Amino acid sequence: MTAALALPTRRVEEWKYSDLARALGDAGFGETSARVSVGALPAGVEIFDLDEPNRPAWVKAHYGKLRGNAVSAVSLAKARGGIALRVSKGACIADILRLDFAGEGHVRALLVLEEGAALTLSERFDIAGTRNAGFEIVLGANAQLNHVRLSPVSDAVQVEEISLTLARDAVYCAHFANFGAKLSRVELAITLDGEGAQAHLSGVSVLSGDSHADVTTQVIHAAGRTQSTQLFKKVAGGKAQAVYQGKVTVAHGANGSDSRQTAKALLLSSRAEADLKPELEIFADDVKCAHGAAVGDLDADSLFYLRARGIPEREARHLLIHAFLEDALTDIANTDLRETVRGAVSSALNEVSA
Amino acid sequence: MLDIKNLHVAVGGKDILKGLNLKVDAGQVHAIMGPNGSGKSTLSYVLAGRAGYEITQGSISYNGEDLAALPPEERAAKGVFLAMQYPVEIPGVTTMMFLKSALNAQRRSRGESEMDAIGILKTVRKKAAALNVSEDMLKRALNVGFSGGEKKRLEILQMALFEPRLAILDETDSGLDIDALRLVAEGVNGLRAPERAMLVITHYQRLLDYIVPDRIHVLANGRIVAEGGKELALELEAKGYEQIVRDAA
Repeated sequence: MTAALALPTRRVEEWKYSDLARALGDAGFGETSARVSVGALPAGVEIFDLDEPNRPAWVKAHYGKLRGNAVSAVSLAKARGGIALRVSKGACIADILRLDFAGEGHVRALLVLEEGAALTLSERFDIAGTRNAGFEIVLGANAQLNHVRLSPVSDAVQVEEISLTLARDAVYCAHFANFGAKLSRVELAITLDGEGAQAHLSGVSVLSGDSHADVTTQVIHAAGRTQSTQLFKKVAGGKAQAVYQGKVTVAHGANGSDSRQTAKALLLSSRAEADLKPELEIFADDVKCAHGAAVGDLDADSLFYLRARGIPEREARHLLIHAFLEDALTDIANTDLRETVRGAVSSALNEVSA
Repeated sequence: MLDIKNLHVAVGGKDILKGLNLKVDAGQVHAIMGPNGSGKSTLSYVLAGRAGYEITQGSISYNGEDLAALPPEERAAKGVFLAMQYPVEIPGVTTMMFLKSALNAQRRSRGESEMDAIGILKTVRKKAAALNVSEDMLKRALNVGFSGGEKKRLEILQMALFEPRLAILDETDSGLDIDALRLVAEGVNGLRAPERAMLVITHYQRLLDYIVPDRIHVLANGRIVAEGGKELALELEAKGYEQIVRDAA
């Protein structure tokens, strides 16, 4: 492995709360390639197997082009195969595109939405396998992508970097439901490249045992009148560790941009940990930016109120935890996907207080 | 129904109730009046089972059972209801969903079958109309953005819905204007019944013009210092707490 492809250590600031080298051990991610597959391919979505020769122009134009982190560079260098997907200009896909990452090792995917295209993407990270995924998403002008990523509880090391670029007026709405792993990290590198582009991110984590879940976001407002909102809610019991790092940069000249960032964690045990780190860098004028983070316990007054009305303690706690997560869940536009995430949250909560 | 003997309660190591005796029979409405800091809210919380209220001496018997041994939810299922002075706001839980969860939890605890959503909705609507609790309030998050009067009306709606055997109303009148007070009092009076006891805790005599009690007890410094019929309220109004407490000493 060359120095340029070395995996980050905890001494790298962005990896301070996620000790990748230690979690992986000597084996690292290995040399194999993990898999990515799609369910029934909705009409209007074009697919290309990256193993095949003669990559079409749209793959050549975008594959491996977006900025990525050190881990993403490793997957780009080592992954074999993977898939590229495209929705062509103006096509609005009604059916959900289901994307599954599975197996052990490195894997890459590329999704291109051309101008005015619209798609709902349901991404699932399989629980088995130490995996490093690199996913590039390119949204053309006025394209719309709704993305829900679900990673059920796993005992492996699972890392994904999603790099996105948004052209003028493109809209990206994404939800990350992360239930933890030995080490779980999803990192978003988003560039709002065209005027009026918007990224709306939300997420929930429900963690128990000694699991770990890290959601790290980097949003660059590179053009004017761009918007980003982030709402991440985390519940941690046992010895679990929930991490949120969010860095928003408003570049020089990105005037009239608007950014909001909220991260809240609920700690259900004295040994659970939450590391919430919102960051803001502003180089432009006339911008609206707000960020906040809060870590707390369930409210004793609320708990007493519910119990005094006859609701048993365990049920009352669950009700309050659901209530805490609710605003992040309502951000999921697709009803079916929202209910899927709700179901996963309910199962995870049963583990938390078991 | 309720028999409190020589009750001593400490909160955070500080003695608040210091030998309180009180007996309330089914069918009766008793009022507890007292100045600020006399221990009124402590009494209501200790009856409902709030954590942090330590009984250091004495006993609370409820229908012959040791009430202090039960967690709050079991007290509720057995018919103890506390209308709170400061109902909590819970964003993310709608009022209707809360009412349904609470009612069914109580029913389950008593070994009764759960009511379905439609059955509960019908019952709630009927009772809500009488208390001027709007459909909109039922759809909103519990107590979030409710006015003081709306919160108190919702407390009384819960009382009407849960049909408790012992209802404790903690300063239900505080912060209400006269119209809201009248509405709340009508709701309470409508729930007076031979099988139900009520304990009305208040700082002000005014509430007792609308909810006329069978007995009045004056609480001062953690003890009942004076007792009497409804005329005691008028005496309190005329003389003030200080004089009554002094007379009793």
